[in-house]
Amino acid sequence: MVTDDGQLYTIEGVAAGMIMLFTAYLVLGATSVYTPGDSHISDMQLEQTGTDALRMMNTPVNGTSESQLTEIVDTLPLVNGAIAPATNAFDPTNNFNILFLNYVNNKTGSDYVLNISEADNLHYTAEVTYYDRKNTTTEGLLISSNRNLTGSEHPVRVTQWVITNQPVPGDTTMTQPRAVLVEVLLWRD
Amino acid sequence: MAGLNDDAQWIVMMGFVVSFSFFFLAMILNQSTVVGQTTAESVLDFPKNDIRDVRNVIINSTETGDPGYVHDDIIVISQFRKNAVVYYDCPPNTPANPPDPQITLCPSNSFTSIDIHYNNGVTAYNETWIPS
Repeated sequence: MVTDDGQLYTIEGVAAGMIMLFTAYLVLGATSVYTPGDSHISDMQLEQTGTDALRMMNTPVNGTSESQLTEIVDTLPLVNGAIAPATNAFDPTNNFNILFLNYVNNKTGSDYVLNISEADNLHYTAEVTYYDRKNTTTEGLLISSNRNLTGSEHPVRVTQWVITNQPVPGDTTMTQPRAVLVEVLLWRD
Repeated sequence: MAGLNDDAQWIVMMGFVVSFSFFFLAMILNQSTVVGQTTAESVLDFPKNDIRDVRNVIINSTETGDPGYVHDDIIVISQFRKNAVVYYDCPPNTPANPPDPQITLCPSNSFTSIDIHYNNGVTAYNETWIPS
């Protein structure tokens, strides 16, 4: 014999079942597109780190001396002999390598030179772009890099303007200050 | 109610309240990544460092006096390597009438202002810098 007690339980059960089915339908029907969108967050931080490092290198210690970055660009041996290769002990390539890696990789309680296992793991390729007035082209020249770009990295590009007193290729006057752009590709792996 | 007593309805209500709070917590958690991402995207889109850098080099170059080489370098390299149209000059004290279409170079320390223009297609920045 069936009684009609507890009909509300029945209704509730049916309603709950429908809600569960609807939820399952929503979940299964939702398209999930996985994009590397979150990389923007680390890109932003990496870009700021690199820009700050270059800006530190481009800040002179006092009003009369040149910044380290200017000194590096000034002594860089350019391709077609417009600048004679550095004859003094100052090695621009090695100097850039040491300075830049130190600035970007040092963390609190670590030192890139003394305690490399606790330092950060950033790598770079740096070049300088100049304007060749004679051929009206822009040309790039590698400053240094500590790792080759293979294509699997995800680098960001940071830049810094430098005014150099040395002539760049295509410069006919050889005495005027010129503006060049130091570009660094920076990535973490 | 058919076959039911309505004792302890507050237990049912608390169940609802708790489920809803879980739902909203989940929603907040779900949005947190999007917040960081859109913020980072906006920071990347706005060329703050580029503008500061180009502004810095322009103002510095005028201290030494530039016969036009740095001027050309900045304009050309900005276009080729930074995808930005950059222009600057020093307007004369008494503008010619009609205005002189030639570039007004910035002589060393003897100008009243520098007009700096920067446009990378997304952000336009214009400034009249006056030495203090």
